[in-house]
Amino acid sequence: MASDWKSFEPVLIPDIPNLDKIDNYIKNGGYKALEKVVKENGWTPEKVVNEVKEANIRGRGGAGFNAGLKWSFMPKPDGGPRYLACNGDESEPGTFKDRKIFEYNPHLFIEGALIAAYAMQITTIYVYIRGEYYSWIKMMEKALQDARDKGFIGKNLFGTDFSVEFEVTGGAGAYICGEETSMLESLEGKRGYPRVKPPFPAQKGLWGRPTTINNIETLANVPGVINNGANWFKNIGAENHPGPVLYGISGHVNRPGVYELPSGVPVMDLINEVAQGVRGGKKLKALIPGGSSTPVLRADQLDGVSMDADSLREAGSMMGTAGMMVMDEDTDMVDVLWRISHFYHHESCGQCTPCREGTGWLEKILLKIKNGEGEIRDLDLLLDLTTQMEGRTICALADAAAWPVRHTINRFRDEFEARCKKSVHAVA
Amino acid sequence: MPEIFIDGKRYEFEEGEDRGLLQFILDNGKEVPFFCYHPSMSAPANCRQCYVKVGTPVKNRETGEYELDENGEREIRWFPKMQTSCTTQMQDGMVVHTQETSEEVARAQKDTMELILINHPLDCPICDQAGECPLQIQTYKYGPEGSRFEVKKQHKPKRIQLGPRVTLDAERCINCTRCVRFTDEISESHQLTIVARGDKNYPMAAPGREFDDPYSMNTVDICPVGALTSTDFRFKARVWEMNQTPSIDITNGKGTNIDLWTRDNLVMRITPRFNGEVNDHWMPDAGRDAYQRFNENRLSRPAIKLDGDNQSKTSWNNAIETFAETLESHGPEDVLVVGSPHASVEENYALMKVFNLWGVNNFKFAPHIEEGTGDGFLITDDQAPNTSGVKLLGYEESNDLASEVKNTKIVIMLSDELIDRGVLSKDDLKGKFSILLSTNECDTAKTADLVIPVTCIAEHAASYVNVEGRIQRSFPAKETKYTNRSLDLEMNQGRLDRFGTNFDNWVTEENKVDCAPAWEIMNQLANRMGLDVSFGRGREIMEEIAGSNPAFENVSYERMDNEMGINLNPSNKQEATA
Repeated sequence: MASDWKSFEPVLIPDIPNLDKIDNYIKNGGYKALEKVVKENGWTPEKVVNEVKEANIRGRGGAGFNAGLKWSFMPKPDGGPRYLACNGDESEPGTFKDRKIFEYNPHLFIEGALIAAYAMQITTIYVYIRGEYYSWIKMMEKALQDARDKGFIGKNLFGTDFSVEFEVTGGAGAYICGEETSMLESLEGKRGYPRVKPPFPAQKGLWGRPTTINNIETLANVPGVINNGANWFKNIGAENHPGPVLYGISGHVNRPGVYELPSGVPVMDLINEVAQGVRGGKKLKALIPGGSSTPVLRADQLDGVSMDADSLREAGSMMGTAGMMVMDEDTDMVDVLWRISHFYHHESCGQCTPCREGTGWLEKILLKIKNGEGEIRDLDLLLDLTTQMEGRTICALADAAAWPVRHTINRFRDEFEARCKKSVHAVA
Repeated sequence: MPEIFIDGKRYEFEEGEDRGLLQFILDNGKEVPFFCYHPSMSAPANCRQCYVKVGTPVKNRETGEYELDENGEREIRWFPKMQTSCTTQMQDGMVVHTQETSEEVARAQKDTMELILINHPLDCPICDQAGECPLQIQTYKYGPEGSRFEVKKQHKPKRIQLGPRVTLDAERCINCTRCVRFTDEISESHQLTIVARGDKNYPMAAPGREFDDPYSMNTVDICPVGALTSTDFRFKARVWEMNQTPSIDITNGKGTNIDLWTRDNLVMRITPRFNGEVNDHWMPDAGRDAYQRFNENRLSRPAIKLDGDNQSKTSWNNAIETFAETLESHGPEDVLVVGSPHASVEENYALMKVFNLWGVNNFKFAPHIEEGTGDGFLITDDQAPNTSGVKLLGYEESNDLASEVKNTKIVIMLSDELIDRGVLSKDDLKGKFSILLSTNECDTAKTADLVIPVTCIAEHAASYVNVEGRIQRSFPAKETKYTNRSLDLEMNQGRLDRFGTNFDNWVTEENKVDCAPAWEIMNQLANRMGLDVSFGRGREIMEEIAGSNPAFENVSYERMDNEMGINLNPSNKQEATA
C-alpha cells in the first residue's frame, strides 16, 4: 500500500473543473448516494450506520474515532429535534484542508452530511465554519442554496417523508470553538466554553437535544462509502486507518499545499516527492505531523514512518489532522516552541485553572529562554508544568498546549540547554 | 441502601441521590477544597480544585457479584483520570480517595493551587476579603509552600465600578464564574458575563450597561476572592475586627435571615445567613443598606413638646411621668393604640397587654404594603417585617387610620413612621396628644408630643413573623447607652469587643444610643400607674405569649434557634404536634 499512492485517483477533490457548480456535480454522479439511501427501501437508517461503521472512517478532525460507531451512539428518535453539527472550524495551526472541500467540492460534503442526517434521523444540520473563512462561508451559503433549489434540502426529499434543514454558522475567531462542545455553545449563541462531559452530545447536545458532531472531511468520505461499499473504502491506504486523506503540507518545502492521497503514505515520500523536497536543498530537521498540538518528530525518527495512526503512534506522535509542518536545518526549535505556546496561551478560553494559568506561564518561560535569559532549571519547570496541565481540564486544549512543550524539549533538549544561561556558580 | 467508601470509611446514601460527590463529602463533615462550586448553583467544574481519586468495584457479568482480589477485597477499577468531585455522581460501591488518603490527589490540588496563585496579586494585607477568603484559607491548608513563578504577572483592570453597589478588582479574580452563574441562575438578570480569553478574562457587564441587579451584592458574598467588593463597605473594616450576630432583614416581609457585623457598637455591614426555608444563601441589596438605620439618625433620650412645636430632650423619669399623667387626665376610651408591623411581636404584645389592663380596647395598625414592588423572590409587596405578627396578636388592620384618630384624644404609636409614609398627616394629630415609641428620627417623631426612644432590632432579642407565617428572632448586636443586663444576657458570648465595656478594644460612647426596649418602658409605666405587669426578657415575654395566644402555641426562643424559625400556619402546626 505504501508505494501505490502514485496511482491513486482522488475522490474528495478530484481533478474535475467547476465541481462546485451543482450541475457539474450532479453530472459527475453527485447526489446519487443520497437519492439511493433515501429512496431505496433496502437502505434503512440502521443499514447506513452499519455500512459507515464497517468502512471504519476514522474522524479526520484529529481524534480518529470511527464515525459510524459515533453515529450509533445516538439514542432512538423520540419525535423531538436532533442535530448534526459539522465542524468546519479548522483552526489548529498547520491545518487547512477543509476549506479545499468548501471551495472545490462543497456538494460532496453536503451530500455526506445529508446521508448522515438520514442515517441518524436528524432534523437539522449546522455547519460551523471559522469566521476567518469569510469567503468560504459565502461559498457554502451559495452551495446550500443551490442544493435547496434542486430539492436536496428541505421537506420531503425525493417524495419521501424524510425532511431536513441545513444552516451555515460562522465562528468569531476563537480556536476553542473547534472543540466540539464549545462549538455547540457557540452555535447556541453563547460564549465558547467547552462543556463538562458527561453528558455527551449524543445524549445532551445542542439545546439539550441529541447531537452528533463530525468533521467536514469525515462527512465528505460518506458518499463514496455508500456508492462503492465499505470494502472499497477499507482497501484504500492503511489497514487500521483507511481511506483517502487530505494532507496539508506546509513549511520549508518546495511545493506546499493540500494533497489528497491514501492514508499511510510514507512520510518521506510526502516530503520529498509530493511536496518536492525541502526548500533550497537543505536538510530536514523536524516534522510536526498533524497540526501544532501533535508531538514533533526529529528527522532521524522518520525512517519508515507512514501517515497513519498506528505508525505515527509507534514513532511517538499522532495523526491529528494530517497538517504536516516541515522544518529545515536552520529552524530554531526554541523559537518554534515559543510560537506554538504563544498560540495556545492566546487561545485558551480561560475556563479551567490549569490551562488558563498554565499556558501563559509556559509561554513566559519560553520567551525568557528564547531571549537567552533562561536557566537550565526552567526546562525542568516547563516539563513539570506539562504534567500539572495534562489531563486536568475539561477539554483537551491543555493537553494540546502541554504535549508540544514536553516533546520538543525532550527531543531537542541540547538546543534548549544551549540557549540557557551558563551557571554562574562554580562547581565545588 | 447504596454505599460509598470515602477515605476507607463506609457511608450510605439514598437511591437516586442528586447531590454530587463533593456536596456529599461536605455534608458528612469532611473537606475537599473547592472554589467554583456553590450548592445553590450549577457545577461548571472550572476551578479544577476538588480533585479526588475515584474507582468502582468490578462486577462479574454473569453472576452480578463483585469480583474479589487475592486478599478477598473487592477489585476496584480506578477512573483513568482524577475526577472533579463536584461533577461526580455517586454510584453504589464507589471508592473515593481525597487528599487525606491519596498523595496523588493532594499533589494535584497543590498543583492547581499553585496555578491559581501565579497571577493573583497576593495583596491580602489590603484586601477586604482577607480573613474570610476561601482562596486564602485553602492556600494555607492545601497550597504549595512557595511559588516557582518568576516571570511577570498578568495585569488586569482594577477598581471597575460594575454597578452602583459592586466594585471589581479584576486582577484578584480567579474566574470561578460564580457571579456570572448567579445572575444567570438565581437573580436571572443575566447582567454579567466573562470577557476576554485565557488569563486575561474577568467578569463584566455589557458595554454601556450597569450591574444594577437588585440582588447584585450577593455576588460579593459568593466571590471566593476579593475581586467583587461592596462599594459601600470597601476598606471600612477588617473581618476579624467585627462580630457577627444573627438577625432578620426588616426592610420587607420575607424575613430574610441575615448577619449583622458590628464593631465598636456600630453595624458595619449586613450579609445574608443561610436558611433553606426562607432565603437560601441570598438577600436583596435593599436589606443591606438598612445598617445605616441602626447607627445613624437614632432617637436618643426621650423628647417632649413643651411649647408650640418645639421639642426638647427630657429625662426618662419625666417622660414616664408625662406619659402617665396624660393617660390619667383622660379615660381609656380616649386612647387609640397603634401597633406596628415594623416592630417585633414582643413590643406589640407589651403595649397591648398594659393598655388592655388599663381598659383600652382600641388597638389598630396600618399595614405597610406597596403593591407591585414584590418580585416573587426575596422582595415582597409588604414593606414591614412583622405584619402577620401584629395581626396574630389581635391588632385590627386599618386602612383609614386618619378617621380612627379623629375620634380619640390620645394616640400612642409604636415604631411606625406613619406621617412619613402618608398614613397620617400632621393635621390629623393636631389637638391630640400623640406619643411615639420609636427608633429613628422622622417627621412622625418631630410631630409627636412625647417621643420615647426604643431599641431597634440590632439592640434587642425579639421575634418577627414573616409573610409566610414563619416566626424568627433577632439577637442584640450592639449595646445601649446604659448597660442593660437583660439585653446583654441574649448577646453572643466571647465577642471581641466584650460588649463595648470600658475595657474594650473599641469604646466610643457616642456610638451607643440612649434607648430602652419597649417592654421595659411599659414596665415603668405600669409600675407608675399601679398595674400588675412585669415583663422580663424577650424570651420570657414569648413564653407568656405562647401560653396565652393559641396562634403562638409551643413557640419558644429555643425552638426558633434550633429550627431556624417556626412556621405558625395551622397546617404546619398540626404536622408538628402529630
